[in-house]
Order: sequence, then C-alpha cells, then structure tokens
Amino acid sequence: MTTPTEIDVRRAAAPRLADDHQTIRTDPVAAGDSVVNITDLKLWYGTFQALHGVTLNVPRNKVTALIGASGCGKSTLLRTINRMNDLVSGVTVEGQIVYDGVELYGSDVDPVEVRRRIGMVFQKANPFPKSVYENVAFGPRLVGFKGDMDALVERALKSAALWDEVNDKLRQSGLGLSGGQQQRLCIARALATEPSVLLMDEPTSALDPMATDKIERLIDELKRHYTVIIVTHNMQQAGRVSDRTAFMHVGRLVEERPTDQIFTNPKHEMTERYVSGHFG
Amino acid sequence: MSDGQRLAEQLPPAKVDMFDPGGANTRRRARNRRLFTWVTGLPIILAIGLLAILLFDIVTDSFSWQLIEPRNSGVSFSLGDGFRFGGTWERVVTLDLQAQGRDQQEIAATLGDPEARRVYGARNRVELMLWAEGMPLRYVVTSSRDKHLEDYTLAQGFSRRAELESAVEPGQLFYLNPWLDLAFFAKNASRTATMAGLGPALAGSIMVILLVILISVPLGVGAAVYLEEYATDTWFSRLIELNLNNLAGVPSVVYGILGLSVFVRGIGLGPVVLAAALTLSLLVVPVVVIAAREAIRAVPGTLRQAAYGLGATRSQVVGKVVLPNAIAGITTGVVLAVARALGETAPLLLVGAAAFVPRLPDGIMSIFTALPIQIYAWVSENDVEFTHVASAAIAVLLAILFVLYAIAFWLRRRFGRTA
Repeated sequence: MTTPTEIDVRRAAAPRLADDHQTIRTDPVAAGDSVVNITDLKLWYGTFQALHGVTLNVPRNKVTALIGASGCGKSTLLRTINRMNDLVSGVTVEGQIVYDGVELYGSDVDPVEVRRRIGMVFQKANPFPKSVYENVAFGPRLVGFKGDMDALVERALKSAALWDEVNDKLRQSGLGLSGGQQQRLCIARALATEPSVLLMDEPTSALDPMATDKIERLIDELKRHYTVIIVTHNMQQAGRVSDRTAFMHVGRLVEERPTDQIFTNPKHEMTERYVSGHFG
Repeated sequence: MSDGQRLAEQLPPAKVDMFDPGGANTRRRARNRRLFTWVTGLPIILAIGLLAILLFDIVTDSFSWQLIEPRNSGVSFSLGDGFRFGGTWERVVTLDLQAQGRDQQEIAATLGDPEARRVYGARNRVELMLWAEGMPLRYVVTSSRDKHLEDYTLAQGFSRRAELESAVEPGQLFYLNPWLDLAFFAKNASRTATMAGLGPALAGSIMVILLVILISVPLGVGAAVYLEEYATDTWFSRLIELNLNNLAGVPSVVYGILGLSVFVRGIGLGPVVLAAALTLSLLVVPVVVIAAREAIRAVPGTLRQAAYGLGATRSQVVGKVVLPNAIAGITTGVVLAVARALGETAPLLLVGAAAFVPRLPDGIMSIFTALPIQIYAWVSENDVEFTHVASAAIAVLLAILFVLYAIAFWLRRRFGRTA
C-alpha cells in the first residue's frame, strides 16, 4: 500500500466532465466565416471511443489552437480533418465535417483529394531523403504538375520563410538542414500543393526556442492566406500564435473561445486548472 | 512519510570503502576482464584460423609441378620469343606445328580452317607455365595424349626442385602448372584434367542465377510489399508469415525433390536451365521476402505519413517513398540470397544437372551444369590431377561469393546511413 502523493491527491480532486457536457463558447464563429465545420464528431479506435461528439467551427484565415493533456484526442481530431485517420485500421467515424460546403466523410469524397487540399505538418520534421527541391516538388509531382516547377518551388520556399537560407543548396539533401529548417521545409512542402487549410501537429515540440520563434512568426504570416489549425502542448505558444483556442479533455471539447479570453478568464474549472499548469 | 524515506531507514548504511590498498581489487578485475576477452575471442580466432587454412589449401592445391612425356607436342617457348600482344595463340601453335615437322602450307591450312583449329584446340593446350625448362613464364603446348608421369604438390616441387629437375630425362618436360588461368574459364569439360575447364559450368551458373534473379525479385519484393503495405492483419496473413519463416528454413534437398516432380517431370521441362532456375527460385523467394519485408519495415513511418499527408495514393507511397528507401536493404537481401543459391548443390543434383557437359548451354531449355555440380564431379574423379582442377574451381566459386558479399557489404555501408 502506498500512500497517495500530493500529485495523486490533486488529480483525484480534478473534476470529471459530465457526459452531457456542453462546450462553453464565447463570440462563436459564424458558419459563414468558417472554412471547416465539425458537427457532433465521434470517433472509435476499434471499441475505444476517442472523440465523444465534438462540435467546432474553424474560422477562415485565422489560427485555431487545440490544447489539452496527452490523450485528450486533440491530435485525433486534427487527423480527422484531412482523413489521415483512414490509414489506421479499425477506425470508425460518426458525425460531420464540412469543408467548403463539402461533407468530407461523404461516400463520394476521395480522401486522397481531401489531403491535397488540407495540408499537414507533423510533430517531427520528416523531410524525404531527397534534395530540398525534390522535397518541395513531391506533392505537385504526385498530381502530374506540368507548369513551372522552379517557380512553384521558389514560391513555396518563400512562403515558408526558407528561401533565403536554402536558395543556394536546393540540390542538397533536405536531411542536411537544421531541425528548424527541416520543419520549415516540411511546411513549404505542404504549401506546394496549394492547400487552403494547414494542419499542424505540435510542429515545434522538437525544436529549440530560436527555431520555434521562427516557426511561430511564420504561422502568423501564413494566416493571411491560409487557415491554420495547430495542436500544441505549449500554452505560451497557443497564447502567442492563435486567435481562438479550443481546450479538450478526454475526447470532449470543454471550452472554445478567443485565445485571450480562455487564458485570462477560463470559465470551466478544468480549463482553469490546465492553463494554470495544475495538470497536463 | 514517503516510501523513499522509510526504505532508507530500514537499510543498513552502505559499507563504503573506496580505498584499494596495493590495487588488489583493480588487478583482479583486470585479470577477469582479460580472461573474459580470451574466452569469448577464442572461437573467432579459431574461425579465422580455419578459414585461413581452407584458403591456403585451396590456393596451393590449384598449383602443381608436373612431369610429362610429350607425344605429339611438348615444345616450350619463352614469353620473350617475339610474341605480339593478341596473336599469342596462333604464334605458339605455329611454333608447335613447326616443331612437329609440318611445313608452312600445312600450318596455314590448319590455322585457316575453323574445324582444324577446333580439333587442335580440343586436343592440345597452350598454357603459360609459371616455370618450365629452368625458366619462368614459358608457353608449353601439351596434348591430351601426352603421358603424365608425375604430379608434385607446390611445396614438394619447391623443396626438391633441383633434384627433380636434374632427374628429367631427354624427351620429358617438367613444369609448374597454374591450373587456374584465364584459359580455365573458357575451356570445356574434358576427361583429361589438363584439358578440363570451367566454361559450361560458369555459363550454366550465370544463366541460372540471372534467371533466378528475374523470377525471384519481382515475386519476392511483390509479396513483401503486399504483406507490409496492403495486407490487413488477418489469420490468413499471419499464416503466410508463419509459413514464410518456415519455408526459409526447409532443407534445400526438399526443394530439389519438389523441382524434380513439378518442373522436370510434372510440366515436363526436363533437366534444363529453366527447371533449375525455377527450383532455386523456390529456395530464394522466401529469403528475399523476409529481407525485403525487413527493409520495407525499416522505412520510417513518418515518411509514409508525410507522403499520405501530401495526397499520395497508396501505390504512390509504395512507389515513391517506400521502395526507393528500402532499395538498399532489398538489394542486400537479394545479393545474399543469390549467393546462397549459387552455392546450392543438392537441388541441382536432383533436378538433373549433368556432371559432364562438353559445351556451353545455348538457351534456357538447354541441358547444363553448374559450378558446385562441376566441383562435385571433379572431386569424385580418381585422377590426382583433377584435385587441382577442383581446387581451381573452388577458388573461382569462393571468389564469386566473396565479390557478392562485398557488394552486399558495400550497399549496406553506402545506403544504410541515409535512412
């Protein structure tokens, strides 16, 4: 028998979410301003339910942050938006995600096409073991892009704020870049397919503060042309880069409000405990 | 009170004595370490020693000193006797025929007629001997009808050379024969050791191996891609996986029996190159599948995710990401599997590789022999001279295997670190 530690005590005292919890929202995003509308989304990995009815409108040309403790379902939610979860066997999805008026899980929708329009950047920079140029050109080549590839690559690298650093080493391996440069290369690669939404799954968790700062500035730039949804464990980051923040807990969306409000004036007790660093 | 504190109270204080007067403890540990190094290193030293003995034996066995009594030829010519590069064979043959007392016209007729040339080549051997008639590097023409008097090992010849050379009677020839020379690769099989060569066996092995690669690489890599990228985890795929691992361990003679009953008799191919290649492919495919699966599995999942995230279809992910990144591992596996197939004897014996094939195979439906079969046949010969021929062939087989393993090693080094 071990005596409960102070941490255990605090955990046990943390309130559970009610099964019929209603997401707390302020200044809700109008359906007309949003590019992705998620309605009552439920997801199961086999028999395990990971998402319990999430409803979220993602505003166009804004940065939306998904925060929450490990295992709360924020990455899962992110991956449903470009149907990456289809690649995991045994996944069942219920509910609706509408992107630009199209029901993404409709029977006549091609998931490959969805991923071409909704780009993704992963936690760990994962450039292909090819040249910088070929990395960026990979997406366009998939669809047999016939236009001016050089211009496209240059534009994507400029959008990812990487052009000035790599324009003299386009033919060198992408793996030779620094960690932060590799992650920006991955962003450039995602931008080269000209998506309108960019999903970012903890894009800076493996980077040092300087590289993180560059990426955060980049995200701020990107929202002029793209809608960004970012999953982050770093609450300061969510505070710095995002316009709206959604806090998730055990597969439910607890609170979804403008970022400054959620950090300065959290409404739900769970949110308050999380943003003040009591758990997570 | 926390657990940690309670534990600290229960345990007696550790006896700390960092002093090692005279260094006794350090010395004891160093001694143990030396002992351990020796005990674990001994098998490796033993293995290297045995390998060295094997190589030494094979190399020395492929040389011998010979004493012959020439019948129709037996002339030796110095390398420096005005030989042009390229025309050596004609020049030596001309000199040989001159020494036999043929006139210029007869010689020209022999050299000009392809059939006469072939007959001469089948009966006589033009060979650059390492030592003959007291001089190094002399061309010697020997005939299959020469009388072979003695055969001395390399060591015997060197230690007793003066004695042996002084005992050479007029009309006899004493030389150091390098059995493994360039002509050895081209010559056909023969009942006479000096005339026997590796030509058909080498050609047969190369043809069989090329066919094995053509058959087993698409099958093996395809199966590996299917199992890794497409198959879902069902009882069926688990059954295949289990069987693959078992198939890779089945004794090769069993595959020989299968090949005999299915390809040679069942389909009715007969004992031909194609039947042997199909049989060896059965042996090689499971090994290729296992190697290819490992290589495919070693491709980081993050790369697949990246490609899918950019809108790649499954076949694009396989073709543009998985296979290019697995190619080094797959090639290494194929090379190692092929090296194994190259040395296989039992299946080929059962499939019906011939022990004596006097000419090169002329197609995939031709009868054939292969390196290990030829070696087996030569080792089984009674004639002591065939020991040298067999050793020369073993040296060739080992050299080919060495090159293949070196390629595999190089591939692993070259591409292994980029992934």
